[in-house]
Amino acid sequence: MTAADKHALPAADPRDAGTQLRAGLWQTINERYPGSMIRKESYVRQARLAKPLTECRLTLVSSCGVHLKTEKPLDVCHPFGDFRFMRVPSGAKHEELIIHQLKYPHDDADLDINVIFPIERLQELSQEGRLGGLTANFFSFIGYNMDPEKFERTLAAGIAEAVVEEEQADCALLAPA
Amino acid sequence: MGLIQRAIEARGVPTVSVTVARDVTEVIKVPRAVFLPWPMGHHFGAPFHRDLQRRVVLAALSLLETSNEPGTIFDLPIKWADVRREAQTLTEQGRKL
Repeated sequence: MTAADKHALPAADPRDAGTQLRAGLWQTINERYPGSMIRKESYVRQARLAKPLTECRLTLVSSCGVHLKTEKPLDVCHPFGDFRFMRVPSGAKHEELIIHQLKYPHDDADLDINVIFPIERLQELSQEGRLGGLTANFFSFIGYNMDPEKFERTLAAGIAEAVVEEEQADCALLAPA
Repeated sequence: MGLIQRAIEARGVPTVSVTVARDVTEVIKVPRAVFLPWPMGHHFGAPFHRDLQRRVVLAALSLLETSNEPGTIFDLPIKWADVRREAQTLTEQGRKL
């Protein structure tokens, strides 16, 4: 330790500093799972709301692995990940849902699903008229996929198609886990 | 998740995401996002803290209306230490329900 180190201020605790809690996450994941994270060089064309939010039908997409308790969960053990997605009825309540995912802490979300999948907050906003409505189904999958090209070709395209064609959403909220 | 967001936006439907990993969101170049300095699995705050969950959702929805610049990342500078402090009683009460 040099004299300068002794006098250096300790790094601020990110919980108090308000900075990203897990710094350098992209690099960390790519070191652990090489090739799992990709980079994009340009943006897609920006879409615009065609009408006010009070007339828009919103959909919710989450990688939190939530689903109806009555349905079979996705495969949380597959080494490359499960590239399927599930539909969650937008009218579902916390007690009808369960999370199957191993890659992030969901003990708090098990107490209150809205911590990661704000389905009841969206139901309230829709009932209050802040939103025009919700799509009949929301979308859920497991955010652990080791093949980003396959992910883009299958899961991303599949959800996007269902959001636009089946659910006819006017806008989408995306909640990674 | 960024790839899904891009795929939806590319089909003409505006999207917004909520992220706790600003670096990941920047690299994948999503159309627009709200950043929170919170732990993974807690993108909308803490259990039973409805006001906070609602605040995050509304911030994201508002970005759908206001952002026209690709890659806009809106910071909601709510410290995690403050969230835990605020939510402690709510979470304890909720556990007993």
